[in-house]
Amino acid sequence: MLFRPNPSLGVPIYLQLMEQVKHAIETGALRPGEQLPGIRPLAEELVINPNTVAKAYRELEHEGVIELRHGAGAFVSAAGRAKKGTDTLRAAQTIVAAAVERLHARGVTDEEIRRLFEAELAGLTKAAVPAGARNAKEKEGHRG
Amino acid sequence: MADPHVIETVDLCKRYGTTDAVRGLTLQVPAGSIYGFLGRNGAGKTTTIKMLFGMTRPTSGAVRVFGLAADESHSSVEIRRRAAFVSEDKDLYDHMTVEEMIRFTAAFFPRWRRDLEERYLRAFDLPAGRKVKALSRGMRTKLALLVTLARGAELLVLDEPTSGLDPAMTEEVLQALVQHVAGGDTTVFFSSHQIAEVDQIADRVAIIDRGRAIVAGALDDLRERYRRVQIVFDGSAPDVTFRSPGVERIERNGRVLSVLSSGGAERVVEEARALGPVAVDVLPVTLKEIFLESVVTES
Amino acid sequence: MLWYKFWLDTRWRFLIGLLLLGGSAFTIVLAYPRIMQLMPMVPQADTGGELGRRIREAAELSRDYRGYIWSQWFRQQPTQLGTLFAVLLGTGGLVSSAGGGGLFTLSLPVSRHRLVAIRAATGLAELLAIAVVSSLVIPMVSPAVGHTYSVGSAIVHALCWFVAGAVFLSLALLLSTVFSDVWRPLLLTCAIAFALACFDFVFRDVNHYSVFHVMSGETYFRTGALPWFGLFASAAIAAAALYGAAVNFSARDF
Repeated sequence: MLFRPNPSLGVPIYLQLMEQVKHAIETGALRPGEQLPGIRPLAEELVINPNTVAKAYRELEHEGVIELRHGAGAFVSAAGRAKKGTDTLRAAQTIVAAAVERLHARGVTDEEIRRLFEAELAGLTKAAVPAGARNAKEKEGHRG
Repeated sequence: MADPHVIETVDLCKRYGTTDAVRGLTLQVPAGSIYGFLGRNGAGKTTTIKMLFGMTRPTSGAVRVFGLAADESHSSVEIRRRAAFVSEDKDLYDHMTVEEMIRFTAAFFPRWRRDLEERYLRAFDLPAGRKVKALSRGMRTKLALLVTLARGAELLVLDEPTSGLDPAMTEEVLQALVQHVAGGDTTVFFSSHQIAEVDQIADRVAIIDRGRAIVAGALDDLRERYRRVQIVFDGSAPDVTFRSPGVERIERNGRVLSVLSSGGAERVVEEARALGPVAVDVLPVTLKEIFLESVVTES
Repeated sequence: MLWYKFWLDTRWRFLIGLLLLGGSAFTIVLAYPRIMQLMPMVPQADTGGELGRRIREAAELSRDYRGYIWSQWFRQQPTQLGTLFAVLLGTGGLVSSAGGGGLFTLSLPVSRHRLVAIRAATGLAELLAIAVVSSLVIPMVSPAVGHTYSVGSAIVHALCWFVAGAVFLSLALLLSTVFSDVWRPLLLTCAIAFALACFDFVFRDVNHYSVFHVMSGETYFRTGALPWFGLFASAAIAAAALYGAAVNFSARDF
């Protein structure tokens, strides 16, 4: 099973799913143009609400990560967008790695680092920011 | 004209002697949703469900299913034609065999789905010739579910569907429910005090305590709105009230102030920062915490 | 399908009742020759009081086969064992049956009135069957002891038994809608039956109006005329009890 959302986290399942789909695309488990599992079969497999899967797919389409082809199913977007995402994420990863290293040097523990990031993100995102972007940022903060 | 709400209660009350089992319950269940009805034992869940099916009459207030008055005998029969109920004890006829139970139930529903009956009979692996009283608890639940799902009902109401079941069986039951809703045109309303399963499959939720709905709404909405703001001070935490709306509960514990917010946590963070704390953390809140906090606050 | 469900619930009571009552009819007929041999031994004027009077009366009646059948069977079995089974057939089965499924029944798309009606009808059909079948045993077996008993008489007695027995069945059903357990309706109805029987025994002059008088078909036996008043009164009481059961059941909260 590619996706494994945790219902008890207090984080909406659809957000977790979105993030897991994006992660799958980054790591190459899902390639551009490849088909994603259907809404109904995925809901049945994960034993979650079909409306939740539908919502995740809709938001992913809104962000351009996937395409919903009427009658055919959901497909990963063609190269362009996804690749860009991968590049941006790689750069972000470098920044985060450097920051973590510097914080470690100051004696800040992993747990503290995590909480600092979450607090910062919650503080930032709760300001007037459009729903789509806000949710995307939030998901990054709650990963892991 | 189709009623968008499959179930609707307005200020529903039920009094037994001197006890108020339900005290002014108001909720709406939209069509096509999986609605989780959470509450402690004795909070009024079963009584409410019984009122939906005309088994118990309300003391006051309105209760409508498919737009029909559930407390009126003729409409109640009509409701029962289109809605199915599984009781907490998985009530069935002990002396009948599995096959007889199915045939008996099928006789009442012209829209009986033979294909679903056969599918679930295979999937649940139910022995057709065995008497109901000889079935294990899990098998009993599955049979109760089968006769409920195969009748082509628009609404499924289940009272604690997975109580007493092991995790594997629980998953099977939830899967059957999810499959059924995925097929379209069905609404599921289930009561539970298992937070995990509500978390897993429900898209809307109501928390009932002492006969009243204290929290209700879309589950994702709750997950996005509720936040816990944890504020750490240098010295003892001050005894403050927050002017921001949505503050549900404030807990002082030595140097830490814990604020549960049901919406608008960023304003709480602003107010918190003005107090000059050492640290301000914003954390997500699980449904379990929302439940425990809401129920405790009531008392 | 509700008929089937109620049949399953009351099946054993019905079959046992049928067996016992049919069996006793069978036995009574076959015992006739033996009883006749013992007749001269019955004391003439020794035992006093009501009991003595009854014994003498029974002996008197038994000289004739038809009298024997009436005094030894139709006056005894329907009013005793028969009443018991009438009560048993009316008890439980709606929501408080031992087989569970009360809430399941209530969740079916059937009105409460209909539930009571079908339950009552099932019980009444079973009572009728027991009455008719066991009564018909008598004309069927009588030739074996060299006598005849008219089928018509057996049927009439069976009907009287049925209508009067329906009173107790309906009463048990009514009480079943009041109490949620199986025992109280059963015991209360039996207690009422017992009280009525004692009343009959003590107050001989007014027992002409008792339900047991109708049940045994005494008027028919003695005069050949059907006890119309008794039959209508019993039917009316039974109907009223069933109506009460329907109203009660509809109004109840579960």
